[in-house]
Amino acid sequence: MKDFNKLYSETIKALNREPYHFEKRENVDAIVKAYNPVCGDRFELFIRHDANSFRELHFHGFGCSVSKASTSVLARLLENKTTVEALMLCNLFLNAITAEVPSYDVILPAEFIAFSDVRYFPERVECAALPWREMKKYLEEKTNNE
Amino acid sequence: MTLPLKNIQSNFPIFSHHPNLIYLDNAATTQKPQAVIQAITNFYEKENASVHRGLYELSANATQAYEAVRKKVAGLIGAKYPRTIAFTKGTTESINVVAHGFLKNKLQAGDNVVITAMEHHANLIPWQQVCRQQGANLRIAPVNEAGELMMKALGSMLDDRTRLLAVAHISNVTGVINPIGEIISMAHLKNIPVLVDGAQSVGHVPIDVAETDIDFLVWSAHKMFGPLGTGVLYCKDKLAHHLAPLNYGGGNIRHVDFQQTEFLDYPALLEAGTPHIPGVIGLGAAIDFVQQLDINEVVAHERNLGNALREKLLAMGGIRLTGNPGNATGIVSFQVEGIHPHDVASFLANENIAVRAGHHCAQPLLEAMGIPATVRASFSIYNTMNEVESVLHTLDDLKKFWL
Repeated sequence: MKDFNKLYSETIKALNREPYHFEKRENVDAIVKAYNPVCGDRFELFIRHDANSFRELHFHGFGCSVSKASTSVLARLLENKTTVEALMLCNLFLNAITAEVPSYDVILPAEFIAFSDVRYFPERVECAALPWREMKKYLEEKTNNE
Repeated sequence: MTLPLKNIQSNFPIFSHHPNLIYLDNAATTQKPQAVIQAITNFYEKENASVHRGLYELSANATQAYEAVRKKVAGLIGAKYPRTIAFTKGTTESINVVAHGFLKNKLQAGDNVVITAMEHHANLIPWQQVCRQQGANLRIAPVNEAGELMMKALGSMLDDRTRLLAVAHISNVTGVINPIGEIISMAHLKNIPVLVDGAQSVGHVPIDVAETDIDFLVWSAHKMFGPLGTGVLYCKDKLAHHLAPLNYGGGNIRHVDFQQTEFLDYPALLEAGTPHIPGVIGLGAAIDFVQQLDINEVVAHERNLGNALREKLLAMGGIRLTGNPGNATGIVSFQVEGIHPHDVASFLANENIAVRAGHHCAQPLLEAMGIPATVRASFSIYNTMNEVESVLHTLDDLKKFWL
């Protein structure tokens, strides 16, 4: 049997209890929606940015512990990152949770480690991936429009 | 001879392959008895041929077997004529046939269609889309906190511009059993045809189309121990000539020339293309299986398990039931306070308990009840009281793990 504690690391449990910047914000520069039609998870990411980088990220909504923790890490890590850096982090995270063989040639941010075992729970990968995938889409569109 | 429910698990090979499995996602699809699997295998091994085409023995036998199932289906639901039964891919396709092939042409701007707030997306979206295309209104009869249909409100929505009423016999979220006899009488007083979504009811509770005077009854084989990919549309005899097919092609024609086609009558009209013959054969075997059971024992068994879980969950505390209807079957939705349904379902899955988490294709109902998602346990004939206890024990462990 799979080790359940691998999915629910202490980091995920802690982030779920005390998520980062978990509140609605008004007058923001952009809102990214991370909705999962299959399970009904719905998060909104409230973005404040200047010309080059994210200034503040908040999020709010409803989702399971894995998606809440994952969105929390995203909000914390992407603040003060440029579009290019943010996009790199999105790719890195998505690769870390979906790749069959984790790539050891890059040093993952410590926050990602808690999610690296999600890949053993294929039915939960989407929970962790959702905000990052939506953020990646947003960043790619932003880059293309510039 | 009646097949008792005690030890009925031994008829289902899945449980010998997964001896520790506690399967509580029966509202999504039931497991298949050996007899159904065998009937499908037999067909492919010994009887495979297309129907209604060849003049050779295999084809004639396949046709005979296929048509014999039509008769069995009619028998199961108390339909007088096998010709009232059409085979489809499933409940969703059956509803779409009625929405597009029956309703759409009759529906004009300002007309309305009435459904209820507890409908599965399959019994909502087809009507919603046809209404939007025709400029008609979709009226939604409300559900009370217990998850029961509000009959007076429903009655007040039916008027002389109502072209159809569509309602689930049993909700796939709360398990409530709707009083379809009463609902149909109400609609028929105003000459409104009624479609009953029997996905959760046919094979699980008795249903008689003649007695209740149902106009359209739809369901899927796979939720009553039959194969996936096969469903039924029952259409009352006198409405059959109003139905147009969704699909055109071989199999539903009487005569074709390059400019026009003369079509066969219902039900052949709806069965263009080579049909899913082994699916239909498997449905026949599922009906044989169901008819070996004592339907009253089935109803009581599923209801008892559902009620036991509801009561014990409430007694446990920290649990919110999604509706708690008086007249319900073995479908139970709930939330564990402070723990997301997905996390609950994953934890149960880790103990080999298969439940559903999410909105169960009834997003508007849950939104109306102020709930984003729930956990759902749905019981069938092979589930036991011990399995109810396992769920409760595991939920205790879950709370220790999380809270």
